[in-house]
Amino acid sequence: MKLIKCVVREEKIDETTDALRALDISGLTVSRVCGHGTCERQTVVYRGVRLESRLLPKMMIDVVAPDDQVDDVVRVVTETARTGEAGDGRIFVMTIDEAYTIRTRQGGVA
Amino acid sequence: MRDNYQTRVSRTGRFAVWGLLAVMFLCVLAPAAAAQQADPAGIALGDKSNAVDAGGNAFVVAEPTDKADPDYAAKKKAFDDYQAQAAKEPLAVKLADSVGHVRIATNVGWTLNTGYLVLFMQAGFALLTCGLVRKKNAAHLMMLNFAAYVFAFLAYYVCGYAFQFGAVAINAAPAGLGGTPTLNQFLIGSGQWGFLGGKGFFLSGPGYDAGSNVLTLFQVVFMETAGYIIVGSICERINFWGFLLCEIFVGALLYPIFGCWVWGGGWMSQLGSTMGMGHGYVDFAGSSVVHAVGGFCAMALAVVLGPRLGKYDKDGKPRAFPAHNIVFVVTGTFILLFGWMGFNPGSTLAATDLRIGVIAINTNLAAVAGAATAIVLWYFMFGKPDISMGCNGMLAGLVAITAPCAFVGPNASVIIGIIAGVIVCLGVLFNERVLKVDDPCGAVSVHGYCGWFGAVALGIFADGTYGAGWNGVGAATYLGKAGQGVTGLLHGDTSQFMLQLGGATLCAVYAFAFTFVVFKIVNAIRPLRVSKEAEIEGLDVPEFGMLAYPETGDEVSAAV
Repeated sequence: MKLIKCVVREEKIDETTDALRALDISGLTVSRVCGHGTCERQTVVYRGVRLESRLLPKMMIDVVAPDDQVDDVVRVVTETARTGEAGDGRIFVMTIDEAYTIRTRQGGVA
Repeated sequence: MRDNYQTRVSRTGRFAVWGLLAVMFLCVLAPAAAAQQADPAGIALGDKSNAVDAGGNAFVVAEPTDKADPDYAAKKKAFDDYQAQAAKEPLAVKLADSVGHVRIATNVGWTLNTGYLVLFMQAGFALLTCGLVRKKNAAHLMMLNFAAYVFAFLAYYVCGYAFQFGAVAINAAPAGLGGTPTLNQFLIGSGQWGFLGGKGFFLSGPGYDAGSNVLTLFQVVFMETAGYIIVGSICERINFWGFLLCEIFVGALLYPIFGCWVWGGGWMSQLGSTMGMGHGYVDFAGSSVVHAVGGFCAMALAVVLGPRLGKYDKDGKPRAFPAHNIVFVVTGTFILLFGWMGFNPGSTLAATDLRIGVIAINTNLAAVAGAATAIVLWYFMFGKPDISMGCNGMLAGLVAITAPCAFVGPNASVIIGIIAGVIVCLGVLFNERVLKVDDPCGAVSVHGYCGWFGAVALGIFADGTYGAGWNGVGAATYLGKAGQGVTGLLHGDTSQFMLQLGGATLCAVYAFAFTFVVFKIVNAIRPLRVSKEAEIEGLDVPEFGMLAYPETGDEVSAAV
């Protein structure tokens, strides 16, 4: 059982979550996040003063999937969230020790 | 990429500024000789000739000049009696001078204050439209609303007012404001066939006049209303400089030309005298002159721009982009309702015209009837009332009652409001699903369709209790009755209905076609639309470098 954290572009969130839904995964969580990578920078001028943004808005998708589905999730996200420009985002995969459904107190992914 | 975009913006900006300067230069060259002396200080405004009783009978009796008139003897006697009385009681004549002055002053105060109410509607429009768009475009939208006021106002000052009202004294002098006698020449046309006013450019010479400037203030905020309407249809995708061209176009040409035909004493208002069609084309406060012009201009621009990215999926099915702040939408609607209390009653241009009480209540009744209809209809169609459609329903009722508000009774107002509430709901669905015109705030449906309907409704429901002698028709008797005013189909005047139907349709076609042709050409020279990347990101930062809501966390970092 793995937790897959995907940081993606804001405008790609609908496309990516729709594609993940088609994979028949149990569910996902989306949050608005800010951050920066290595090269993407944005400069604006506010009332005549240059302002370099350090943090850019991104969306983060948290998906929990059984081990044999991880490759599918990664493939789908890299296919749908990619533009080829710098700033497309990252994917992190990590192991989960335990998981429970609150309503049923059941363990496991489903 | 971003640098390219900046260069493009500044080049278009220079283009717009030079264009504006060229227009100003041409207008200075236009003839500006004033035969009638303007009165900038307002000290000659209002004397005994303006002292009038409740029935409109003047204190001063004019000397009859037409000896062939069968009533000449009676008129001459009345004049002689008045002269004798005036010689005996000189103090009464002086008092009448004061009464006339106070009468005009009352009307000036009324017209200015109702104009200020209409001005405040701009805040309502800004909140309404801003609430209805997506968060990522909120700052851009507010800037559009703000700049619309600024640039359209300047265009109206340069030539819009002169085109619209430059000949108003010939056929449609606003008696309550002293008659603005200096605005007395058509640029195109003459007599009862005027097409474009020709005096008062830059509000100088004949336009620099106290009475006339009251009219200017009241009318410029009406023009701004038409200018704001288009924001609701073109937002979330138009670039700023393209938008400024749209506003200058509305303020300098589109609105004033049609306004001249109907309100400036132009040919449409005179069709009653010239062609025997009712009281001429009548639009009391601007269902067609303001709202349908704005609404169909908005429609043409929305067609030229095309739908927002992602509005229609690949099968052509519409997607919803939900309103980002429904609190703004409802607040804005209430501000608009409040402002409309200036829009309609103020259009008498006279507090001494006591029909204003009926007008105010008619306006409110149509508003609540429209809102109730939209709420209930949506409930039956989709299972739940929609708040933003309820607001659109209220505005639809207001737009539709704007033309007939002075000529109908309360019951007719409720019926007009109900029909407008139905039209706006079906219009929104029709635009979105059938025409596939992307109209984010429903401006085409609210202002275009309901504006057209309002002008037609006047031709149906007008009950003849008000407007005797309107546009110079039937001052003595009309339809065989003394004091019969503007009358609609249900009360026996078919010609008025036919003219309203034709005139409102002409208005829609004029506004759509004129805008479409002009901006199709402009768009081919220089695209009106922002880049695809900017539209996806949201227009706030690419166009203006700041977000509407930086505190929500997804901002460029705070002070460096």
